[in-house]
Amino acid sequence: MSQQQVLEAQSLTVQRGGRPVLHDVSFAVGEGEVFALLGGNGAGKSTTLLTFLGLIEPHQGRAMAFGQDVQGNEDAIRRKAAYLPETASLYAHLNAWENVSYFLELARSPRPRDELSQAFDEVGLPADARDRRLESYSKGMRQKVAIALALLRSVPLLLLDEPTSGLDPVAIDEFNALITALAERGSTVMMVTHDVYGACQVARRVGLLRRGELVGTFEAPPEGMIDADELHRAFARSHAS
Amino acid sequence: MNPVIRVAAEEWRYWRRSRLGLAASLVIVSVLLASALATWRQVAIERNQRAELQTTAENIFYDQPARHPHRMVHYGHYVFRTPPPLALIDPGVDEYTGAAVFLEGHRQNSATFSPAYSGPHGGSFVSLSPATVYQVLVPLMLIALGFSALARERERGSDLLLLAAPMSARGLWLGKTLALAAAAALVLLPLLAAVLSATGFALDGIALVLGYGLYLLGWVCLTTSVSARSRSSSNALAVLLSVWLAVCVVLPRIAASGAEVLLPVPSKIEADLAVAKAMRELGDGHNAADPAFEQLRANLLVQHGVDRVEDLPVNIRGVVAEAAEAEQKQVMDGFSEAYAQQEQAQAEAVRWSSFLSPLLAIRGFSTSLAGTDLAHRHRFLVEAEQARYQFVQDLNRIHASDLTYTDDIRRSSDAGAEQRTRVSPDNWRSLAKFRLTPDSLADRLSRGMPFFLLLAVFLALATGLGITARPAGVR
Repeated sequence: MSQQQVLEAQSLTVQRGGRPVLHDVSFAVGEGEVFALLGGNGAGKSTTLLTFLGLIEPHQGRAMAFGQDVQGNEDAIRRKAAYLPETASLYAHLNAWENVSYFLELARSPRPRDELSQAFDEVGLPADARDRRLESYSKGMRQKVAIALALLRSVPLLLLDEPTSGLDPVAIDEFNALITALAERGSTVMMVTHDVYGACQVARRVGLLRRGELVGTFEAPPEGMIDADELHRAFARSHAS
Repeated sequence: MNPVIRVAAEEWRYWRRSRLGLAASLVIVSVLLASALATWRQVAIERNQRAELQTTAENIFYDQPARHPHRMVHYGHYVFRTPPPLALIDPGVDEYTGAAVFLEGHRQNSATFSPAYSGPHGGSFVSLSPATVYQVLVPLMLIALGFSALARERERGSDLLLLAAPMSARGLWLGKTLALAAAAALVLLPLLAAVLSATGFALDGIALVLGYGLYLLGWVCLTTSVSARSRSSSNALAVLLSVWLAVCVVLPRIAASGAEVLLPVPSKIEADLAVAKAMRELGDGHNAADPAFEQLRANLLVQHGVDRVEDLPVNIRGVVAEAAEAEQKQVMDGFSEAYAQQEQAQAEAVRWSSFLSPLLAIRGFSTSLAGTDLAHRHRFLVEAEQARYQFVQDLNRIHASDLTYTDDIRRSSDAGAEQRTRVSPDNWRSLAKFRLTPDSLADRLSRGMPFFLLLAVFLALATGLGITARPAGVR
């Protein structure tokens, strides 16, 4: 783990609609680290991300980002973080250029067209699709545009919710390589997923979340990856219990 | 570009590209066409026709040949309420209450010939004035255009992406509101053009447009606020349509019906019967020998030191007619003033309902500024009555001074007497022409100010609802 902590959950407890979603969850993510939070449906993965964005208020405990409590510093933290939602909720009536430009302008960081083109190349969005409205896109193509947007933000923290959902195997490999490269350049990545093997491929540490509780953390050895089979067994056990 | 303006611009692009935009554009075009047609029709009827009718009525009256003055009293004369310039926008009560009064002796006639009864197609078309379009239809168009502004972002999940952009919930609401406000401003342009063509750059016209701007901005904020607080577009639409129905259809009718029940005003026939009953108790002004005028007759004989009415230097029949008219006026004024007070009390009750319905507030503001409210109609009736009384009594005085009593009583049997009891048309040509002067701007503004303040409260409440809205389903 890197020395400086970018994200830290301190005994985080969150309720939504009076129902506990996270209970006493604590973990930290260091600078330049790729951390994956693994869990089944309703485990509280997306809630954790939204809490770090300041879009959900913790019932107890604290969510810290860049050494600051997220509550009260939402705007400053959102400016340093790019968020990729679970479903790529971009605008169907706009094309890829227009979608990305719009969100970048809202973030007050507009980019020239050649940089957008470069980002689309990196995520593998075909050139002939870029001028078409997203209403004709597949789910995977929309996801690629959303990933390109996250990259173009050029911020030190990426919060990714099921980032490979809808991508084909080749695109998943390309995405994983991209995330690894970003981490090597100093970006911190926290992703939530229910894809055990995908998490092992890209993350140096994986937290296992079950019904709102962090039931285990797996760390990759210095010269290797997390054992996917072992993680899968742990995931299955936690699901069964 | 400022993010708020960028959100607004993006909303316009969405309208342009989506079916909603096409549908809303059709609605806008329809509304503007309807408004333009209604304005044209109002201009044609209100501005020209009544002024021409007034001139025609005056010409017919003044061109009468030499006649007996009391025949002219009964011949009568029409006066018209020529509408103020802004009546082109809002005909107000004028549309239903009539714009002409027939002036004659011994009667206070009601205003007649309202457009509601004389329009070429009759019925509801006459109510499609520009004011109605802007008060009722444009808010509906704004709802159609803006109900999903924020709710659809939530439905599609793009609100999270926007908030993480980062874009504050308040900034997002402001951007969407700005987009809808720009659409409202565009729709206001024909109104501004109509007002400028009617009044130039007069303050009352500008104030009227500002009032409508405030009203529509209230609807804009309400629409985006409900959208911001709704979990789905369909919920937002259902809430907004319910509010529109309550504000524009149900509450105004409840207010009017409630005022009628709580503060009843007698029907026209009841009022006329009551006046007729009271009038029968007075003397007959056509009969100088009526016992009701015995004291007057005796006083005149004493005053002039004569024993017979034939020897009086004035015609007793004219003097009696003048006295009788004065008594009748007193009785009729009592009834008409009580009636006006009851109508005003009803209007006051409806005015209080403006707290619940911004439509009633803009209606009150608009008719006050246009000079077509109930207060203005009452002033028309009062001034018409003053003109009637003046005209009748001037002729009665001519009757008393220019005709001899002897000729007057023989005119049915003596052709020479009949000729001598005719007076020259110059006598009524010199009567003052009736022209209703519009209320002063200060009067109209002071009557409209409470409604303007209520519209400001409506806007403040709608804005507060939007500014305090948090992203639903997130926090």
